Amino acid sequence: MRTAERTGLTLDIKDKNVVEMRGITMIYPNGIAANQMVDFSVKAGEIHALMGENGAGKSTLMKILMGMERPQEGEIFIGGEKVSLNSAHDAIAKGIGMVHQHFMLVPSLTVAENIVLGIEPKRGGFFFDEKGAVELTRQFSERYSLFVDPDAKIADIPVGMKQKVEILKALVRGAKILILDEPTAVLTARETDELFRQLTLLKEQGFTVIFISHKLAEIKQITDRMTILRSGKSMGVHVTKDTSEQEISRLMVGRDVVLTVEKTQARPTAPVLKVRGLNYTNIWGKQVLKNVSFSVRRGEILGIAGVEGNGQSDLVKVLFNFEIPDSGSVKFEDIETIGKSQAALRRLGVSYIPEDRMVYGASGMANIEENLISDRFTHRRFNTGPFFNTTAIREECNRLIGEFRVLARSRKQRVKMLSGGNIQKVVVAREFSSDPTLIIAEQPTRGIDVGATEFIRKKMVELSSEGKGILLVSADLAEVMEFADSLIVLYGGEIVAYFEDTSSLTDLEMGEYMLGLKKQSEDEIRGAVHE
Amino acid sequence: MNSDRMLELKFSLLRGAVAILISIGVAAIFIFTVSETPWDALYQLIISPFGNTRQMWNILERMIPLLFTGLAVCVMFSAKQFNLAAEGCVMLGAFVSALIAIYVSMPMGIHPVVAILAGAIVCGLVMLIPSLLQTKFGASVLVSTLMLNFIIQFVIQYFLVHVFADRTQGALMTERFQPTAIIPFIRFETNWGLAVGLVMVVLVSLFLYRTRWGYAIRMVGLNKEFSAYSGMKVAGVIILCQVIGGLLAGMGGGIEMLGYFDRFRWRLLPGYGWNGITIAILAKNNPILVPFAAFFLAYLSRGSMNMAIRTDMPFEMLEIIQAAIFLFFAAEHLMAKTRQKMVVKKAKQEMQSAAKGVDETC
Repeated sequence: MRTAERTGLTLDIKDKNVVEMRGITMIYPNGIAANQMVDFSVKAGEIHALMGENGAGKSTLMKILMGMERPQEGEIFIGGEKVSLNSAHDAIAKGIGMVHQHFMLVPSLTVAENIVLGIEPKRGGFFFDEKGAVELTRQFSERYSLFVDPDAKIADIPVGMKQKVEILKALVRGAKILILDEPTAVLTARETDELFRQLTLLKEQGFTVIFISHKLAEIKQITDRMTILRSGKSMGVHVTKDTSEQEISRLMVGRDVVLTVEKTQARPTAPVLKVRGLNYTNIWGKQVLKNVSFSVRRGEILGIAGVEGNGQSDLVKVLFNFEIPDSGSVKFEDIETIGKSQAALRRLGVSYIPEDRMVYGASGMANIEENLISDRFTHRRFNTGPFFNTTAIREECNRLIGEFRVLARSRKQRVKMLSGGNIQKVVVAREFSSDPTLIIAEQPTRGIDVGATEFIRKKMVELSSEGKGILLVSADLAEVMEFADSLIVLYGGEIVAYFEDTSSLTDLEMGEYMLGLKKQSEDEIRGAVHE
Repeated sequence: MNSDRMLELKFSLLRGAVAILISIGVAAIFIFTVSETPWDALYQLIISPFGNTRQMWNILERMIPLLFTGLAVCVMFSAKQFNLAAEGCVMLGAFVSALIAIYVSMPMGIHPVVAILAGAIVCGLVMLIPSLLQTKFGASVLVSTLMLNFIIQFVIQYFLVHVFADRTQGALMTERFQPTAIIPFIRFETNWGLAVGLVMVVLVSLFLYRTRWGYAIRMVGLNKEFSAYSGMKVAGVIILCQVIGGLLAGMGGGIEMLGYFDRFRWRLLPGYGWNGITIAILAKNNPILVPFAAFFLAYLSRGSMNMAIRTDMPFEMLEIIQAAIFLFFAAEHLMAKTRQKMVVKKAKQEMQSAAKGVDETC
């Protein structure tokens, strides 16, 4: 098996470029030039941020470095030596390891089994040496202070530990250069702090870290230098401590982004959505919602916070009738909606921005126009007799594309050709423009660029001040705390806290509720019902 | 048309041409191994169908049922419903039309129309079976319709043998159609069904691309989850597209029967439905391209026929060529490298012109 000793990469080349990519140009089969003459270099022993909006080409550049994509032009040097990377195998052999945003782990296997997957220690040259695997895991885990339980099943461990397993996997394979793709997207504040401590430790031991992120505060906190990409081109390398957040934003999007949206005190009125005593057991027989009761009032943004996998997405699925609950009631303006179709919900005035935008929110192979009219194509104003009124449809689409600033060549462009932020703008344009009474926004700004995020948040605030009810489900703590007027915390499928006013809340306090360390009294939680 | 679609079209044409050339190459290999007179066989296969006017009209005649089955499959495949019952529907539509042509008396002009529509409607209703089985119980249409074809075939055989056979004839066939039910010819043996078929091409195109139902069918085909989320009645759309497919295939069967025969004498599935699948794949589910694909298959069929009549090569050569074309068209990655080069070239041009644009504004 291959371990750290065998990669032959020496660590005494501090201040030399351990990774250097020159003039990388990568054009995908769909014609998108994801990287255009990009230069990228990382010094040994630094934490280097790779920043940029969605669609800026970060992932592509890293895929090239991992040997998963081959660029049309450009050279790659690792430790000063020119290399040609044809597969992830080549990259691993050169000491590069990647921790993907979506973990690449087998849930039914143990931590140790996952760590040695593909490079298993053998007994007698044939049989799997389980003890050896556990021993190896323990050894690496102690050496790098990444504490994991080697015998636990991946399915049973929390997200933070899964990430450690991923990092260990890379280290065991001899990685000296670690690429972390948006590592904090799924972590709580506490877990993020722990990750940063570990990354600092690794750095002190001479490892090089490439840190991909959107979050300015984190970049400022942990990285030494940064490379910023904008629409496939490099905006240069910057020393983190000499670069202000405003400057980073400007480099990323080419203008000054106001990161805080102005928001006045909400004046909530009558409830528009009443959820009472909701219980739901998923297809694997696990009860994922337990006696959930709350109301969304007109004119307020109700946030739902929680570590992912604590019932948020199940709740949304039940609310939009993709799943039928075991018991409880969901009333929209006093009309029971359980068992009704999505078409009926939409007629009542419910809009939904789904978390999974390429499966539910948009149809990649369809064009922008077809995506924008999917909820309203049967309306009388878009039809004349049996035929579509193409003029009315064209006008509607051009209006929405303009109003929601969708960047596209034309309304006939396929949605999958757009960047993540623009795809989300298409979804949002449709969902916000249907004159809804209630908007369910699930992770509305996840993985999209600063510009689009700001735009979508502004629109949400605008709509709530017009008297619409908004249910904001987000794993981004800063987002729920800043944009929600009141807040529910879900833990293990239960509401563990309700805050009528979010202004005095701290991250630390929230973290305690989100991790199940604290729970409010029944009376406090009942406040969410508003009766 | 924007430049992306232009490039896509250019590439499709190029790839189609290459697939056809390879297929004919494959056919040539067989011809040169088997035939005593290979050059003549190739001539008969490729050139002779364009030899004279009669031959050309014959190609058009062969196109007629293919237009309908091609359209039927296009509509069903647009919603990603891999329904194979177009085959059975051609036979059933033909049978029902034949019965009306024999046993119901009507004035000239109206008789074939009523007969064909009756066949189409019965087929539309029959398609409710697989589509309801699928939407209610989750039965795969691919499997259920494959079997449905044989059920249709044997039920028709049963009725043909036991109920409707003309006992005065030596072979198994029905009585003669009433002359009022026969579709007249345009020229030679090409009947007016051709015109009906071309009108249907336009109507189906308008239906798929210009109406709310066609839009829903295409959206369900592209992304079912998205369609349900948007509030479309996905089950309804799945049923609708198959009923329309049944109507079109049944119509094709009726027209073929009343335009080409004087008695119903099919004991086996006629094969037009299978060809409809080839056509839909060649036409990439776009109804406007169906006449071209149908013409091409009809041309190959005429060529193979000529080759079989005039040389020592068998008619079954057609199957080999068709299979090869099918294979190369279905191979998504055929010429992927060429496509990549075309895309890269275009992207670079765009990058350069964008750079120039920046220079000019500076």
